[in-house]
Amino acid sequence: QVSVINTVDTSHEDMIHDAQMDYYGTRLATCSSDRSVKIFDVRNGGQILIADLRGHEGPVWQVAWAHPMYGNILASCSYDRKVIIWKEENGTWEKTYEYTGHDSSVNSVCWAPHDYGLILACGSSDGAISLLSYTGDGQWEVKKISNAHTIGCNAVSWAPAVVPGSLIEQPSGQKPNYIKRFASGGCDNLVKIWKEEDGQWKEEQKLEAHSDWVRDVAWAPSIGLPTSTIASCSQDGRVFIWTCDDASGNSWSPKLLHKFNDVVWHVSWSITANILAVSGGDNKVTLWKESVDGLWACISDVNKGQGGVSAVTDGQQNEQ
Amino acid sequence: TAGPLLLRLLDWVRLHVCDVDSMVREVLSSETPSKHKLFWNVVDVFVLQGRMDEARHLLSKEASANPTSMNMYKILDDLMKKMPVPSLGNTQTLTELELKWQHWHEECQRYLQDGTFASNPHMESICKILLGDEDAILEKKELMTTWYHFLVTRLLYSHPTVKPMELQFYAQSSMDLFLGGESSPEPLDMILMAAFEFEMHQVIKECSIVLSNWWFVAHLTDLLDHCKLLQSHNLYFGSNMREFLLLEYASGLFSHHSLWQLGVDYFDHCPEYGRVYLELHIERIPLSTEQKALKVLRICEQRQMHEQVRSVCKIMAMKALRNNRLGSALSWSIRAKDAAFATLISDRFLKDYCERGCFSDLDLIDNLGPSMLLSDRLTFLGKYREFHRLYGEKRFPEAARLLLTLMTAHIAPCSFWMTLLTDALPLLEQKEVIFSAEQTYELMRCLEDLTAGNPEKQKFQDDDVETTKVEMLRLALARNLARVIIKEGTVEGS
Repeated sequence: QVSVINTVDTSHEDMIHDAQMDYYGTRLATCSSDRSVKIFDVRNGGQILIADLRGHEGPVWQVAWAHPMYGNILASCSYDRKVIIWKEENGTWEKTYEYTGHDSSVNSVCWAPHDYGLILACGSSDGAISLLSYTGDGQWEVKKISNAHTIGCNAVSWAPAVVPGSLIEQPSGQKPNYIKRFASGGCDNLVKIWKEEDGQWKEEQKLEAHSDWVRDVAWAPSIGLPTSTIASCSQDGRVFIWTCDDASGNSWSPKLLHKFNDVVWHVSWSITANILAVSGGDNKVTLWKESVDGLWACISDVNKGQGGVSAVTDGQQNEQ
Repeated sequence: TAGPLLLRLLDWVRLHVCDVDSMVREVLSSETPSKHKLFWNVVDVFVLQGRMDEARHLLSKEASANPTSMNMYKILDDLMKKMPVPSLGNTQTLTELELKWQHWHEECQRYLQDGTFASNPHMESICKILLGDEDAILEKKELMTTWYHFLVTRLLYSHPTVKPMELQFYAQSSMDLFLGGESSPEPLDMILMAAFEFEMHQVIKECSIVLSNWWFVAHLTDLLDHCKLLQSHNLYFGSNMREFLLLEYASGLFSHHSLWQLGVDYFDHCPEYGRVYLELHIERIPLSTEQKALKVLRICEQRQMHEQVRSVCKIMAMKALRNNRLGSALSWSIRAKDAAFATLISDRFLKDYCERGCFSDLDLIDNLGPSMLLSDRLTFLGKYREFHRLYGEKRFPEAARLLLTLMTAHIAPCSFWMTLLTDALPLLEQKEVIFSAEQTYELMRCLEDLTAGNPEKQKFQDDDVETTKVEMLRLALARNLARVIIKEGTVEGS
């Protein structure tokens, strides 16, 4: 059984588009059409507003927490074409970097696994995906993938820094050679997988199954099994689970999780990837788990709030 | 196999059906129990639970209060005393027992049919119960409260030699008779039914659905697995049921601020995925205090989880740096073997020194030892501090040599050379000549490298203080050179 642990009243003045728990589940960042990003301390069921960040000039679509080893860092992206990176310094949150390299709304931001450094992927309605890498001393290096998706890119999600199959084959103990990959979803109804080769980003795979805009993609955390898993959801109401069984990442096959009656906005995995949270225009958040025979079953329904639920994060939820 | 099944079932019922206990206490503690309105209820409870001695004891009180029923009482008492039950000692075979029981059963039957107890409905009812009359037993529903009590009573008085595998045949009918179509089975009933049928997977499944956390199923499955009673079908990703449930339970523990430590032990006992689950979960423990961080570290180090160790140390180092605790930040980055961070912090130390003229956290820097080699900047920091120590101990030639090496071996970053040369001034001004000619030439070369052909040159020319410093250095170096040439050129003794 799953139950609602807590409700946070954010006092946002308009629609909330994203809510993300930090690494430890102690803080919650929310962003809204009211152009603000808010950070709450949610320990022990409380909700204390820590920061109200202003800087965007349009609705803020997503927020993403960086790994704590880099400090307290939060990225946000907005309709105003900007990506802002905020940092907590001496107890106060401030803007530490602003990226304005996109020609239209930036829809999604996602931090890469900490093993790769401090790298942020940004997907935009101008069809491009930017990769911002921190090179030290307040400097960021930018790499851009133009025309990643025609019409626009709606979501980006990094693959975990785990070599597939490392659970089975004992790792040699040295630092493994990671191949950086991430998935993106776009208005061309496609999910694409990108791979870095010799410092350049190339399109590795095109996953076709959706019949309308892909709204979110989420690459599942890995426990080192040879299987890689990606969840994608779309305007067409479908959620697909894509799996690839070989380490070289060549053959991805989709499995339909469920067809919902309305657009599905977000999908998000739990830490050990055994639960997928799905939220959609039908006003519900559902949790899905894979059963022993490989079929996905809904383990709970949570109906809360007025209006559509558009974001969900698994964070530190108690899985019971 | 600790004794006959029936005895264990009776124990179980007595332990778990305790709604009647307060009533029993009330009657027993009253002045004249036999006059208590619930007296017969309590006698019935004892009979239903096979507590013959206690039943007989109470009945004797009734007998002494009502001499007219003495005859009836004696017979009933005798029947109850003689009732054959399976014993722990195993002094009789099953066949012997069954034979005895059959005879006893017939004797009870005779007394009932003769109308011996006709004038006392309570005693007659007890006799019927002894005969295993289902209707008579069901009349006492409220005293049994559950269908499984009814099951055990039924077995006691109709099939005392019941074997475990036969339970299932009585279980369903007992539940149906007891509930009588008035109420439907509850989840616990279904679980018990599955247990009576020895359908272990069903028990686990039902418990998983009904219970609010994994504690019970995880531990039950673990026990069954250890006794090799659970045939695990291999779940498709190769793990088994026991591990699957333990992983779920332990994962749940990790969201608790202190129980997560128990979760670690549970993961340790999951041979397939325990380690990787632990790796993923332990990184999410909030490192709210240094103590907690050290706890987490100890756990990771014990299990050679090097990535996690590095990660925790880096996080703590970053935290310390944010709070300006440079010493703490440095020792965390050394522990993390994070060269880049160590360099960053060393720079901060050096910057602090330039601004304030002294070092903080001297203890730490003085005792760096081999970890000094983690990063060039850190090495410089350590050696630079050593220079100050030597100077403080007035070991000037050694200090001088070290100072020079710092520049010539390029241990010192170029940005720091000016400071180093300025540090050389007092050594140059000493009464005793410290720097040799060769060393002085080296120093001069360093100064020239720094000021000429260097983009930094502009800075020096614009800044008056800097220009003055450079001039003073040139003067001091020249003077030293003059003195040392004379000293070195002088033949000893003359």
